[in-house]
Amino acid sequence: MSSEPLLRVENLKTQFFTETGTVRAVDGISFEVYEGEIVGLVGESGAGKSVASMSLLRLVESPGEIVDGEITYKGETIFGLEEGPDGDLRERDDVLSNEEIRTRIRGNEIAVIFQDPMESLNPVFTVGGQLREFIELNRGLSEDEARLEAVDMLREVGIPDPEKRYDEYPHQFSGGMRQRVLIAMALACEPSLIIADEPTTALDVTVEGQIIDLVDELQQKYGTSFIWVTHDLGVVAEICDRVNVMYLGEIVEQAPVDELFYDTKHPYTDALLDSIPRPDRTVEDLEPIEGVMPEAINPPSGCRFHPRCPDAREVCRRVHPENRRVAFAGDEPHRAACVKHDAFDVGYDESVPIDPEPELMADAGSASADGGEDRE
Amino acid sequence: MKLLKYALFRLLQAIPVLIGISIITFLLANLGPGDPVSLMLQGQEHDEELVRAIEQRYGLDKPLHERYVTYMAGLLQGDFGQSIYYQRPVSDLMMDRIGPTLLLVLSAYAFALVTAIPLGVVAANRRNEPTDHLSRIVALVGVSTPSFWIGIVLILIFAVKLGWLPSSGLVYPWRPPDAYRGIDGHLELFQQTIRHLLLPMIALGTLQMATIMRVERTQMIESLQGEYVKLARAYGVPERTILRKHAFQVAQLPIITIVGLNLSTALGGAVLTETVFNINGMGLLFVNAIQRNDYQLVMGVTIVLGTLFVIGVIITDISYAYVDPRVTYGESE
Repeated sequence: MSSEPLLRVENLKTQFFTETGTVRAVDGISFEVYEGEIVGLVGESGAGKSVASMSLLRLVESPGEIVDGEITYKGETIFGLEEGPDGDLRERDDVLSNEEIRTRIRGNEIAVIFQDPMESLNPVFTVGGQLREFIELNRGLSEDEARLEAVDMLREVGIPDPEKRYDEYPHQFSGGMRQRVLIAMALACEPSLIIADEPTTALDVTVEGQIIDLVDELQQKYGTSFIWVTHDLGVVAEICDRVNVMYLGEIVEQAPVDELFYDTKHPYTDALLDSIPRPDRTVEDLEPIEGVMPEAINPPSGCRFHPRCPDAREVCRRVHPENRRVAFAGDEPHRAACVKHDAFDVGYDESVPIDPEPELMADAGSASADGGEDRE
Repeated sequence: MKLLKYALFRLLQAIPVLIGISIITFLLANLGPGDPVSLMLQGQEHDEELVRAIEQRYGLDKPLHERYVTYMAGLLQGDFGQSIYYQRPVSDLMMDRIGPTLLLVLSAYAFALVTAIPLGVVAANRRNEPTDHLSRIVALVGVSTPSFWIGIVLILIFAVKLGWLPSSGLVYPWRPPDAYRGIDGHLELFQQTIRHLLLPMIALGTLQMATIMRVERTQMIESLQGEYVKLARAYGVPERTILRKHAFQVAQLPIITIVGLNLSTALGGAVLTETVFNINGMGLLFVNAIQRNDYQLVMGVTIVLGTLFVIGVIITDISYAYVDPRVTYGESE
């Protein structure tokens, strides 16, 4: 692992300014992606995973906006703020312009694979034509060259008879095949980083397995880095090198994948792991996480997970834990945002245990009903 | 090949529809109040014998079903019968009149599409901005104002007050008045055709424009929120290309349907518009035929307009199948 990361995200904040209030969808997350690795971004629906990944391309839809933080990619600034002479925050001069982001970053440096292969392809254009268009645009190839490349790429992702399928329309492809097309699109643009936003969620389990194997194989062949957004820890275990666990807009735990599973440091991750069905446990042993995730308009005080946390103590209501290094895995840090670890030293051990707070969760529930749109 | 088969299939399907149209038209025309014979003889001295002679001549003495069969047999040979008022074959009369009506309806559609599609796209792209609000007002006014009223107001303003444009009649490019004959006359003829066409075209086209614009806007908004648009953005496709190609193409599919189905309102509107602007088209012919109880002519015009509508719907279906790859051609694939 080289010392300079491909992508560095520092204290990123993305907010949505709605009529009911400001939704703090992404609230100060930091992480890195190094060359050739697959980094997981895990969390429940509404945790801010998709917004975070779209922020990396500066593709947050209105009324959303990146309000703080810094994103650097290969030494270029995708987003960054500085204090102006009048004391207000303003965009730094070295931030790439919209045009530069569009022509130099989107597609040819950072590509995406979306969740829903059924909706992601345009129904009125041929699959090959869409693939060719993106290749032409992002690699500066002529139409004929791009066509050849597109057919090669379709073959590469395991689409049989690619010359013929090139001229077919999306509705003539199955879900799994369409997802392969989207993977072909991403790889064909030869990016250094691919954001895969829940790419297997809409697929059934056998197809999911095939797609994951395919990505694994192609990732090793091309050496592309991935940010793998998912809510499925099983997929994470299978494919990721490092993992970021998100809860309500924050990263609560950050560790190499084995470390996360064998030496879990955050109660939320623990709870997530307990809620996965496993062959060695019956359904009665499953422990779903109590309550629902509150809306990010009015996050709970202190630790955002405390109303649902089995380990919560009085101090958790007051102290908002930053993500801190709590252990080492080899020479890599294991970070967690939970005050029960010694690194925090805010008097967790002396504090009184508290029960989960259903009334707070109920409030949060009604707030989320008013909140309208689901941000994920 | 598949498309051709589909087109043939749709044409065959139209046959029962057309037969239905002919039956209903025939029944309505023959069972309706008013008696053509007495109308013909209005103001004249007549006796029973004369009446019977006329009835015999027009076949009115036969029972209804027999008359229908005779009529249909004639239709199949292009014979729509004889107009009682004009004393000319109905088919000849309609041949004279269908040109202006088609010219009017097609130009009204051209006007509607050319104005509505860009306006709808702009409104969708600048959603809830002044342009969008303006387009909403135009659409609301357009939908709720009858075409004959628009016609009258246009005449009052542009013909009577300002005197810029003629208030009535059409100049038919295929049958130019003597003044415009010869090579030099071509430009003048074209200008005159446009000048005469402008007001009735706007009067008839406004409703279509308003409807199409609103549908275009809604479709574009939906299309612009599609995942495929998100994907195109994420791959660095310029916003202009997304608007003109990626979102636009998907949004046009329902427009085809609207255009096809609105053909009935357009043809109906043409009747009124022709009356207001005194254009010798099918509409004016129709209105006169009804007033004169010229039932052969009424039937002929109704059947031709009905057939035009059916053809319009078939063309809609076929072009839909051509444009949207997801439409299957009626058979199991």
